[in-house]
Amino acid sequence: MDITKPAETQHESLKTRFLQSVSRNIQSYILLLAVVVIWAIFFILTNGSFLDPQNISNLFRQMSVTALMTLGMLLVILTGGIDLSVGKLAGFVSVVVAYLQFNIWFKLLPGQVVLPAILSVICGLLVGLLAGSVQGSIIAFGNLPAFIVTLGGMWLFNGLLLLVTQGKTIAADQPVFSVIGQGYIPPAWGWGIYVVIVAALVLNMFSGRRSKQKYGFPVRPLYLDLISVGLILVLILAYVFSVNSYKGIPVPVMILAVAAVIMAFVTNNTHFGRYTYAYGGNREATRLSGIDTKKLLFTIFILMGGFSGLAGIVLASYVGYGTIAAGTGYELDVIAACILGGTSPLGGVGTIPGVLIGASIIASLTTGLQMLNVQPAWQYVVKAIILVAAVYIDVFFKMRRK
Amino acid sequence: MDTENILEFKQVTKHFPGVVALKDVSFEIRRGEIHGICGENGAGKSTLVKILSGVYPHGTYEGEVIYGGEELKLGQSSIREAVEKGIAIVYQELTLVPTRTVGENVFLGKEPVEHGRINWNKLYAETQAILTKYQLDVDPFAVVNNLGVGKMQMVEIAKALSENAQVLILDEPTSALSKEEVEKLMDILRTLKKHGITCIYISHRLEEFFMIADRVTVMRDGKVITTQPTKDLDRNILIKYMVGREIKERFPKGNRKPGDVILEVEGLEATNPNVPDRKVLDGVSFNVRKGEILGIAGLMGSGRTELVMTIFGEYGKITSGSIWMKGKEIKPKSAREAINSGLVLVPEDRKKMGLVLIQSIIRNISLPNLDQFSRDGIINSYEEMKACMQEAKSLTIKAPNLDVMVETLSGGNQQKVVISKWLLSNPEVLIMDDPTRGIDVGAKYEIYKLMNELAEKGVAIIMISSDLEEVMGMSDRIMVMCRGHSTATLPAENADKEHIMALATGVAVA
Repeated sequence: MDITKPAETQHESLKTRFLQSVSRNIQSYILLLAVVVIWAIFFILTNGSFLDPQNISNLFRQMSVTALMTLGMLLVILTGGIDLSVGKLAGFVSVVVAYLQFNIWFKLLPGQVVLPAILSVICGLLVGLLAGSVQGSIIAFGNLPAFIVTLGGMWLFNGLLLLVTQGKTIAADQPVFSVIGQGYIPPAWGWGIYVVIVAALVLNMFSGRRSKQKYGFPVRPLYLDLISVGLILVLILAYVFSVNSYKGIPVPVMILAVAAVIMAFVTNNTHFGRYTYAYGGNREATRLSGIDTKKLLFTIFILMGGFSGLAGIVLASYVGYGTIAAGTGYELDVIAACILGGTSPLGGVGTIPGVLIGASIIASLTTGLQMLNVQPAWQYVVKAIILVAAVYIDVFFKMRRK
Repeated sequence: MDTENILEFKQVTKHFPGVVALKDVSFEIRRGEIHGICGENGAGKSTLVKILSGVYPHGTYEGEVIYGGEELKLGQSSIREAVEKGIAIVYQELTLVPTRTVGENVFLGKEPVEHGRINWNKLYAETQAILTKYQLDVDPFAVVNNLGVGKMQMVEIAKALSENAQVLILDEPTSALSKEEVEKLMDILRTLKKHGITCIYISHRLEEFFMIADRVTVMRDGKVITTQPTKDLDRNILIKYMVGREIKERFPKGNRKPGDVILEVEGLEATNPNVPDRKVLDGVSFNVRKGEILGIAGLMGSGRTELVMTIFGEYGKITSGSIWMKGKEIKPKSAREAINSGLVLVPEDRKKMGLVLIQSIIRNISLPNLDQFSRDGIINSYEEMKACMQEAKSLTIKAPNLDVMVETLSGGNQQKVVISKWLLSNPEVLIMDDPTRGIDVGAKYEIYKLMNELAEKGVAIIMISSDLEEVMGMSDRIMVMCRGHSTATLPAENADKEHIMALATGVAVA
């Protein structure tokens, strides 16, 4: 075979090409299949109400808080590390934001509604970024294990959270602020956004084909590209159609979507993304390739902090108050979503679409089991079995391929 | 059971998706002999070993393996089974628990238990008995971590023997050993032979077959080319069988014309970064010119690797002396700074330090060079693919395509990936730390040719090697190191082996 051709362009029959692409992406297909199976089971058990527009709308809205954090956690786990502090950090940010909304802004900015909301968002993000940079600097420059530093961080943020709340619940349901977590994009706008997505994906596909030709790489048949773009568009269409027949695309889902698209681009197309994967695959080789690995690790934890901050803001707005229990246990959902989504705990392997599917599996289980009135005790048992079984299946297939 | 042949391979064929790893392999191994197997990387030696060890169990290959007169039928997922049947393997990468003692390692998983407790006295006594019987000079109470590679290998052998091994397979046992340790290993193998143990000896170092093997099987492209008594063979015939053609000269002739001095090191002294009062470099001075190959000779532990890692900003703390690049003093504190000043390093251990094994060839080649194909930190993957392809093509990396994981490549091809990634960055000084270690003859020759081409283009090359012939064959000048200092720098043409050895061992001073 000629090594000077990329894998996808070697001339093989359609069937072998299809099979190859399936076996290469077997993990993603298994994950998608798992989502379909879980949804089908809940659809049957709930007599169809699981796939109600209202339920679909809520499902993704509920998942957005943890899913935002998985975007950062993916990077952390890619480096072979872990961040245990994200749940409590998001909780801490949520009470800080609630505190600002409830106690501060109306004194400083009487009569304003938009400006306080904007300031809250900025402050929430800053708290997250600052927390991330402190932890990141200790981990990267102090050479301490992320596990220990973020375990400390988890306790610290819990303490700070208790200090801010003084054990009380703080309301955060002010009109403009609550749009962030509870608002909907009007259906007409939703369709507008869909049209923009269609245009962007199609243009992107053609410009990709054009640059491939420009660089002299063979282009795969047009219909194959059309099918893959078409499939994505159909899925998004189904979603937009469904939520539009309720109240429209939830604002937090839109925030998540934008953040996810940016992070997918960053992980695939930037130096930062490449270095992260390389670092997770082999730290030593990456450093000896002239990459500033300490700065890399530091940046990743700052980003993680930023996403926890964003999640905290959405959380405060979504539940409408800041409580002492805010964010408790979220870190484990986030980590589980990453692992379910095919991220290797050893580092170097994982994708943004993967962790999002992981997050949606967990959200679907939570919602579905609640709808079926399963006792919380048994909800944990079911989730435990699915988490371990999913990873087992993954490991099993990987062994088989070897 | 006492058949003449302890192992017989009968038309063994092993397929992998898209590749035939073994094709109709038939040969036999006689009871009690030392049987050498040689071949280039990818010839099928490791596949053969994996069939014997049960990694590829019965049924995953075609043909028969007869062991002691019966067909060897190892079950799925049971590597223990081979060990219980008496087939033991000493791997290239040692498999000991470093923080435990020799005795614990030898009896790992089969500790003598009495009344639910381990009888430690018995364990150590039995370990000592095995060590004495086979004349293995190791203390059963020593912690493995504190042993040298040679001794660790003895422990590994003891571990295999404690299972009553009939057949001992040694896969590249000498790749990390010093000359004395190799001699010692040869003695051990002779002792084992006296005790009737059959050894299968796999190595790239052909001269070792002539030291100990009774017969040698040569493999190429998954096939057995020949099995012959060692006494009927010589080095050149072996190489001819292995590569399928005759390599007239081991080292290709270059047409190098060294120019101006580009890198100069003066009186460099440095300490171990972890043990600040231990000196690793104690006065090293040399220079290298554009288009020149400077060889560095020296025994293991002479400070060769420490020297280049220090110059590369990744090892010692410099306590005195200076490094000059193109007339300007540089003080690299990290690989990044060294690379920016025009130095690159092909490290000693390519798997640990040179490659991201779980990533594709393209990703590995492009890693330090992303700036070349990106704008504002955003990568143009087509530019990337194009550049990497050109590089991979000019170095003739053999792989199905450039998207395969580097992990799956042979040692020679992996090394070529490391070299390509640095060539793409257009270095002025290329440092190569033992660039041909563990690489087969054919790939070695290609790497030598490449070094010549680069030097002809004006790149200065510093090459460390444990293979004295390689240093003498490839270099323009040779710097000899001994105990952290440079003892002499000699022109290669009138260097002789004995003189270099004398300088390296500190017997002679220049």
